[in-house]
Amino acid sequence: MSLADQPAPVSVIAPVRRIAELRAAWLEMDRNAAAIQFAASRRGGLMIGLAVVVLLAASLQVSLPNLALAAIVITGVVLVPARRMEIVTAASVLFFVARPFRIEQWRTLTDAKALGLGFDGDLVRAAGALAFLAFAASFLALQRHASESLANRRPLLSLIMVWLALFLGALAIPSGSGWSLALWTMTGVWVSSLWMLAYAAMDQRAARPSVPAYARAAMARPFWGGGAEGIGKSWGYLAKFDAKTPDDLGVTRLKALKLAVWAVLLTGLWQACAWAFRDQLGLHDIDTAVLAHAAGQGGGLVHAWASLVTSYLIDLIIIAVWGHLIVAVVRMLGWRIPRNTRNPLASRTLAEFWNRYFFYFKEMLVDFFFYPAFQRWFKTNPKLRIAFATFCAAGAGNLMFHVMRETHVFASVSLEDGLMQFRSALFYSLMLALGLMISQWRGVKLSPDMGFWRWHVWPRVTVFAFFCLLKIFDDLTGIGTFEERARFALSLTGVFP
Amino acid sequence: MTRLRNLITAKLAERGHRSVSDTDSLFTSGRLDSMAAVEVMMMLEAEFGIDLSDADFDISMLDTIRDLEALLDQRKAA
Repeated sequence: MSLADQPAPVSVIAPVRRIAELRAAWLEMDRNAAAIQFAASRRGGLMIGLAVVVLLAASLQVSLPNLALAAIVITGVVLVPARRMEIVTAASVLFFVARPFRIEQWRTLTDAKALGLGFDGDLVRAAGALAFLAFAASFLALQRHASESLANRRPLLSLIMVWLALFLGALAIPSGSGWSLALWTMTGVWVSSLWMLAYAAMDQRAARPSVPAYARAAMARPFWGGGAEGIGKSWGYLAKFDAKTPDDLGVTRLKALKLAVWAVLLTGLWQACAWAFRDQLGLHDIDTAVLAHAAGQGGGLVHAWASLVTSYLIDLIIIAVWGHLIVAVVRMLGWRIPRNTRNPLASRTLAEFWNRYFFYFKEMLVDFFFYPAFQRWFKTNPKLRIAFATFCAAGAGNLMFHVMRETHVFASVSLEDGLMQFRSALFYSLMLALGLMISQWRGVKLSPDMGFWRWHVWPRVTVFAFFCLLKIFDDLTGIGTFEERARFALSLTGVFP
Repeated sequence: MTRLRNLITAKLAERGHRSVSDTDSLFTSGRLDSMAAVEVMMMLEAEFGIDLSDADFDISMLDTIRDLEALLDQRKAA
């Protein structure tokens, strides 16, 4: 066959080029005037909303009731945008009453206690959620009317003190009583929502914007879910990102759609990685790798490193999927808030990684620990001032947030045993704070002029390696003790067995 | 204010952002991180004598260039 008989190369290239053009058009659609105009319309909003709900379902990360709630809220807000606050508030109250806890362990604990007393666990939790909402509305009203009250001057401290009283009460009351059930339920509800209520209080103090107390209280557990750190923070925060024109709204909805699609693609990547690394290559997640090493059944140095790196990569993908889905729902309602995760592997510094990896958790620590400490302590010594504020956020605040969230363990183990369970988390928080402090002290200014290796590769590799190794100690369950985790970490040097 | 504006522009450029409008969020949007906020706060303290230890202060008061201008105007008026 002569060359002339062969199919023209263009016929091979054409589909590839077409795919590239479609991809570019997809990525650029939030700059396409026709697409923006359609997305801003009622019909466009409904169609994009439906697509986002379908994508939430396709991600397999959202339960059916939550999916239905998201669909109703998105439809309601598209049809009656003037009632967005009321719709979001009603949905959030409903969601809070149905699911007042952020983590399942609190549900398991209260179910067990309720069962022992012949109560329905769901009803007890619903009562706890309503009691918290009533408290939250009263707390915000007190803050509004009594400017000298502790609730106004130190809202987070006030809420933590109430939580501590509940927790100590729960510890003191004999297990098996109705009071024990009530106090443990309230402790769990409190710790799940106090950070968001503190945001609501700070927002009210700044009086931007003017929002009724009941709506602020409902934001203690917004219907879009997420952890206790709170994606979306407060009405005031959302208002900063509100679409102000029809075009803005169209762009925001298109960005919601793009993010939801990206989340589903990442879900596919996550499943593919789990299949390839775990099922095919036999690599472990970090906990299993630690336990296998402790039992003398580790697969050797290469296996341990490969397990650690792949496990960490999968964790990064999971957190990205989770955050993208929530942010997509919020954006669909017209608030173009920042992503929770934004290409963390591109980070060149430890602080940048934190900003890119879990934005809203970092924000919570910075808002409630870093800035307050920075404002008050060591004002005459800039380096010490920054270091101490960093320690307060990444070390003390980080540990406090996680230990408070996991205090359900004290319902079943002694105080001493419970505290021992958090040794890995203590080490993790201290090392993280130390790493960030050293990184700030060094203050290395990176620039593209430093060359490809020192600009693109080395900083990113070191940042990834730091967080990857630190991940070994990111544990609150006590599965794999601190000593076992430390031995596993040392074994990665190849020097220790 | 010019120096403050220059500092913010430089910090944005370091992080790969173009200049922003006076009403765009700087810190709560993630455009600038807490270390950049620290530099802004230290400049406010050192050059304008603003005391940030007030219990009512929070970073959202410095979140846009317009917020910063308003803070400085308040300071001048006081």
